Amino acid sequence: MNAGKQTTRQLASRAGRSICRSCREYISRNTYATAAAAAVQAEDQVAQHIPPVAQAAPSTVYAVNAGVVLSRPPQITRDLHPFESAFFLYQRRLNERLALPFTRYFYFKKRTPADLEWKRKMKQRLTPARDIGRYKGYGDEAWNDEVLVGAKESDFEWQVERLLEDAGTDGKEVGEVEQKGMKKIEREVFDKPTPRRTEADEKNDTKSLNRALQRTLYLLVKNKDGLWQFPEDRLNEENLHGAASRILSQSGGPNMNTWLVGHIPIGQHQHNHTDTTKLPSGLTEHGVKTFFLKARIMAGQVNLKESKLGFQDFKWLAKDELKKEVDGSYWTSVKNMLAER
Amino acid sequence: MALRELPFRTVAALGRDVRPAVRVLHPLCRRNASSEAAREVESASSLEVPPPSEELVRGYDPVARSRLRRRGKKELPPSRYQYRSPKYYRGPLHPHQPPPESDPSSRLFQPGPFDLPRLEQTYQSTIASDLLALTYQHYPPGYRAPKNEQRLREWTGASPYYKNRPLRGPRGKGEVLRLLQEPRTFRNIPRITRVVVHSMVPEAQENSANMHVAGMILQAITNVRVESHRARHNVVGWGLRQGRYVSVTSTMEREDAQHFLAKLIDVVLPRIKEWKGVPGSSGDGHGNIHFGLTPDQLALFPEIEVNYDAYPPKMIPGCHISIITDATSNKDARLLMQAIGLPFYGKLND
Repeated sequence: MNAGKQTTRQLASRAGRSICRSCREYISRNTYATAAAAAVQAEDQVAQHIPPVAQAAPSTVYAVNAGVVLSRPPQITRDLHPFESAFFLYQRRLNERLALPFTRYFYFKKRTPADLEWKRKMKQRLTPARDIGRYKGYGDEAWNDEVLVGAKESDFEWQVERLLEDAGTDGKEVGEVEQKGMKKIEREVFDKPTPRRTEADEKNDTKSLNRALQRTLYLLVKNKDGLWQFPEDRLNEENLHGAASRILSQSGGPNMNTWLVGHIPIGQHQHNHTDTTKLPSGLTEHGVKTFFLKARIMAGQVNLKESKLGFQDFKWLAKDELKKEVDGSYWTSVKNMLAER
Repeated sequence: MALRELPFRTVAALGRDVRPAVRVLHPLCRRNASSEAAREVESASSLEVPPPSEELVRGYDPVARSRLRRRGKKELPPSRYQYRSPKYYRGPLHPHQPPPESDPSSRLFQPGPFDLPRLEQTYQSTIASDLLALTYQHYPPGYRAPKNEQRLREWTGASPYYKNRPLRGPRGKGEVLRLLQEPRTFRNIPRITRVVVHSMVPEAQENSANMHVAGMILQAITNVRVESHRARHNVVGWGLRQGRYVSVTSTMEREDAQHFLAKLIDVVLPRIKEWKGVPGSSGDGHGNIHFGLTPDQLALFPEIEVNYDAYPPKMIPGCHISIITDATSNKDARLLMQAIGLPFYGKLND
């Protein structure tokens, strides 16, 4: 240690509390050189690795529960933030003026109905892209390319509408007559995409799996004590994933197609009893530790009619809805294993 | 030293009574994992600013405004107000430097991204966490991974040239150093880095039209400019002559790759008759999966189907698709592929 630091250290010790915390920490910190020297010594001790040994005689124990986090993954893409959709529209319009022009004759033979339709549509929207609105990237007024306030062009629903309109119409104005001798184009019949908000969303039907299609839904059950929790049960002479599949079949019924994701727990919750219980083996049980396994539902629905675990009710909830239902301490131990979306 | 310290000491002495008040404020700056995160730097966003009044919006016509402004005046030539990036890079000391590639006025600018692909969103929300749960390996507390010894061979001998010489590779012809298998954490979940489509057309040596057709098809299905390659050696058995153009590839990244895979898995592969899946023997042991499509399978891509007549039917090539991932083993790469919907058949290559 150099002399300068020695004196500062002495000063610091004399100054007592009047020196600020960060300075004191800096002064009393070991230098890298001393830390390295200490590390070299420590290396030999750690090198002989001693495996953790089980405790000789545990007098206090915890009961072990297996829990199942049964979830339905998101079914559709998420709604874009207005900034994202504005950015994407900007980039698409930029692309329209920077990319090589569309090779029309490679896709449409001259003087065919398809070619005429293409020309009509191009006259209307001025650009090959079908979902960016009326936009012109070239010419004297190409600078006028910004979307005005209140314009719908960046809206996702509006873009889908335009695509459907393009597929469904031939771009003819009202009252325009067809040229003679032209063949009609056969249009493919297509179904409109189903709405992104379903009936269950409108009714806020938390029993339905057809709700909140953009979010992950988790199965929450009301247990014997009236608490909302993930389905869980005491482990009896089996391993965790065996218990998890048993819980699924015993509580949810056979009308459910599920997949257990891996055999390892993704989280744990510890519940301490207010009064310890003495077990017949002479040990004191302090509480319950629950280990959660992850499962996905592929098809079917929960049926609690013949539930052997005594669950009273169930709900399918997204993460933020789940927070309101469960207990505070339960939420803190559970929140980090749930997907945000 | 003492003189310099004096003002500090006096201030400290005077301020000793004030200090506790500052202490009270201190815990606000410090944050534990359990406490609330610090608020954003700016709580207000420009998106929350109320829009201009309706009359102003309705009456705003940029074209008319500009016409009014320019009336009766001579227009400036574009060179006076338009910035043009220099055509050649003249070195870091030249006063006229090109703008960064991300600037739309740069000559190298490429627009994008254009949307958030569905496959990417599924990966983020579902696949990544499932892969972590499937491949996580738990170690008990106190476990220390055994130190991996040097995998390269040393130069043993008395020769003075062996001193400071780089270590030798693994013994045997064609042997390579395998990738290290790091323990799985949330930071190294395998993901798709890029997709390469490759099409070999040896007929292009006689008739270059084959090459053009292959290039057009690959560009149509991948949305990326193709790169053409020459034969590096004479191979009599395959009819290759050195220096002739024989193949085209296109490399997709990010958005293009996601769109291509989604199209392949949801549209093309389900329409192939009696397709068994990707052979289980596929995979190079470094996390990459390869498989091929025949010409009639390639023609099932919607971009080709829409104007199938434009391509000479006999010149449509087959292709090889390489999906390149972050995974370090065949097993992990295959798990990722299965998660995005590619089935495997036959004996698996581990």
